[in-house]
Amino acid sequence: MKNVRIWFKKDHECRYISHLDLNRAMLRALHKSKIPIWHTEGFNPHPFATFPLPLSLGFRGVNECMDVKLEDDDYSFKEIIDRLNACLPRGLRVFDVTEAVMKAGKIAFASFTIKLSGINKPSSLVCRQLKELLDRDTIEVEKRSKKGMKTVDIKPAVKSYSVTEKFDCAELDIMLAAGSSDNVNPNLIITALENENGVEYEADITRNDLYNSELEKFR
Amino acid sequence: MVGKEVERLLLKVQKPGRYVGGELNEVIKNKKDVEVRFAFCFPDTYEVGMSHLGMKILYSQFNSVPYIWCERVFAPWIDMEEEMRRHDIPLYALESGDPLSDFDFIGFTLQYELSYSNMLNMLKMGGVALTTEARGNELKNIVVAGGPCACNPEPVADFVDMFFIGEGEEVDLEVMELFRQCRAEGVDKREFLRRCAQIEGVYVPSLYDVEYNEDGTIKSFTPGDGAPAVIHKRLMLDMDKSFYPDNFVVPLVEIVHDRAVQEIFRGCIRGCRFCQAGFIYRPVREKSPETINEQCRALCENTGYDEVSLSSLSSSDYSQIVPLLEKLTEWTGEEKVSISLPSLRVDGFTDEIMNKIKTVRKSGLTFAPEAGSQRMRDVINKNVREDELMATCATAFAGGWTTVKLYFMIGLPTETMDDVADIANLGQAVVDTYYNTPNHAKGKSVRVTVSASSFVPKPFTPFQWEPQDTIPVLHEKQRHIKDSVRSKKITFNYHDADTSFLEAVFARGDRRLCKTMALACERGFHFDGWNDCFSLEKWLELFEETGIDPAFYANRRRSFDEILPWDHIDYGVSKQFLIKECKKAYENQTTPHCRLKCSGCGAAKYGRGVCFEKRQDMV
Repeated sequence: MKNVRIWFKKDHECRYISHLDLNRAMLRALHKSKIPIWHTEGFNPHPFATFPLPLSLGFRGVNECMDVKLEDDDYSFKEIIDRLNACLPRGLRVFDVTEAVMKAGKIAFASFTIKLSGINKPSSLVCRQLKELLDRDTIEVEKRSKKGMKTVDIKPAVKSYSVTEKFDCAELDIMLAAGSSDNVNPNLIITALENENGVEYEADITRNDLYNSELEKFR
Repeated sequence: MVGKEVERLLLKVQKPGRYVGGELNEVIKNKKDVEVRFAFCFPDTYEVGMSHLGMKILYSQFNSVPYIWCERVFAPWIDMEEEMRRHDIPLYALESGDPLSDFDFIGFTLQYELSYSNMLNMLKMGGVALTTEARGNELKNIVVAGGPCACNPEPVADFVDMFFIGEGEEVDLEVMELFRQCRAEGVDKREFLRRCAQIEGVYVPSLYDVEYNEDGTIKSFTPGDGAPAVIHKRLMLDMDKSFYPDNFVVPLVEIVHDRAVQEIFRGCIRGCRFCQAGFIYRPVREKSPETINEQCRALCENTGYDEVSLSSLSSSDYSQIVPLLEKLTEWTGEEKVSISLPSLRVDGFTDEIMNKIKTVRKSGLTFAPEAGSQRMRDVINKNVREDELMATCATAFAGGWTTVKLYFMIGLPTETMDDVADIANLGQAVVDTYYNTPNHAKGKSVRVTVSASSFVPKPFTPFQWEPQDTIPVLHEKQRHIKDSVRSKKITFNYHDADTSFLEAVFARGDRRLCKTMALACERGFHFDGWNDCFSLEKWLELFEETGIDPAFYANRRRSFDEILPWDHIDYGVSKQFLIKECKKAYENQTTPHCRLKCSGCGAAKYGRGVCFEKRQDMV
């Protein structure tokens, strides 16, 4: 038995499915592919797969991963890629299979690219508004939690960022705290910006990479 | 494939995965390479429509023809509809993202009367004019409809250019082929429809004239332009040779029935007198266990589903159910596929079947005794006795089950308050059976759910002349059951009587209802089958405004010699037989099922199916 990490992109139509739906689609593809994956035991045996860090609905993911247990240690990684892709919808594409080097719990940061545009607002203005917000010492925003709405300061979660002015949008590259303890959803930054300026923005969010606390890429 | 304008809306609505397509096994063609574009519309949400087997069959079959591209369209949920209206985005098909108005054919499946308003709303959202007349004479945007509700097409006759009566597999393709020829010849829509009317199973309502008597009943129904006086249904005679997909579109989001579905037979041998499906799909035609087994296996392999449901009107009536389950379990265990058997009859749940299902998955048990008292069950020809139900429940309880759901109807013909109270009593008897079953699950309590829906008289049943109970009477009966339930182990649910009333109006309505439908569409009515949207009060206002008395259709007893709005349609079951069955119901007389004895309903004229099987009483 070998732990392997399957790397894939979640984009196009599949951007719009929830983590639960992604999980179902992956399990179905694993079942269909007949790759020798370890199944859970019990009344409803199903392929066992875990996701180190779920992706929010609406985000594109270019370096997403899923862990499975391979029953045949010598099974070819290339075979896994080919077989799974034949069983997945076009919005989910597997591009690599590796051994699982780091444990999922090691994830501490995630990098995002956010293309932000305001309705009838020049991108230079949106860039300025973004910088103004992110340069503050505290960025307070209301967040829905299990105990109702609460105000949180997301500034400590912002590890680094840069803003670039593009023709039709402001492009924000940002590294945010991620993982099981201090996860910050980049949508909160947009919410903060909207509250600040009283207008709506359109955001196209891509999650790029995951990192550990030493800022090494998650492998 | 959706455009940028649509993408902008997707993050503002619930479950956007419903509006994007892109699923595994979706069929994409190049529109330049096809001659006929067909928009298959399901007048309900994606989750409901994607669970529908008929759509899966016809989608695959259409797309197996190189010159046809069939795409899917569903009713967007109210939040998405609002966004689309606000941004002027027309209703589009999931595969190409093209608006409805781009299609040669716009086809609806009519599964439920309360989805009629969605059909009209979808046309409106797609930028297609509502009526045959308003759509003009150009050969495009032909609106077609089929499905069980097409057996009384009259309440939507103004909006649909042609109905497919009966099973669609053959007639659909014949019409597509004729369309192709007509377009090559450059004929107009009126001529195309005239020619279509000559195809068996096609009903073109605009070719018929209706006259009414002073009392509101129908005086005459006259065909014009050489259209047939009677439209005969189409049906597949050899189920083993009938088209069946080896592939389903596998949704990205969870749908109502998220599993592979395998049809095992059509029709039902029973002839329960309230049940439309039991008559309009006659005669029973089975697939062979070999065919079912092969098709199941292909479906599971191509979709990746780990559950397959054996679909029919009454699974345990499949004549070779045990050999079939044996064949299936040869591979399903190894492939980790589970089998589910919905629609089990009370008398069909045997140890043998139970053990076969149990090897893979244990689902809840649901039975439909339909009525509480034996007299009432005889009236409706259910042919299930209380001791059979108790024996079945005991089998299940001994096998470890602890929850049972029981379905009933109230408002059945000749029903008394005592019959109604017996629904609660039957629930109680099941509870008692649990505690009297020596080897029931240790330390667990039993849960019995009793659900009561309101009877809706339907066309082509022996009860098609019956009045529906009025809403106050139905409410009184619901209360009576509630008061008669004494055990906390029993949960009592009932179906809203208001929706059943509207369903009854449209089920047996005539063409005069079209103007009410059109006004409903103008006022933005949609999703009447959903509690979120349905309001009987608003419908009553519409009836008032359009001069329609809904009770005329729902609550009036019709005479056997009245011309019924659907009398020009032939589903193979004779009116004389239905009258005979209705009279037998009044005398509490039952009729044996098709395998025991032929009762001469008329369906033997098709020359196949159960009518020609060797009967059990023949040696």
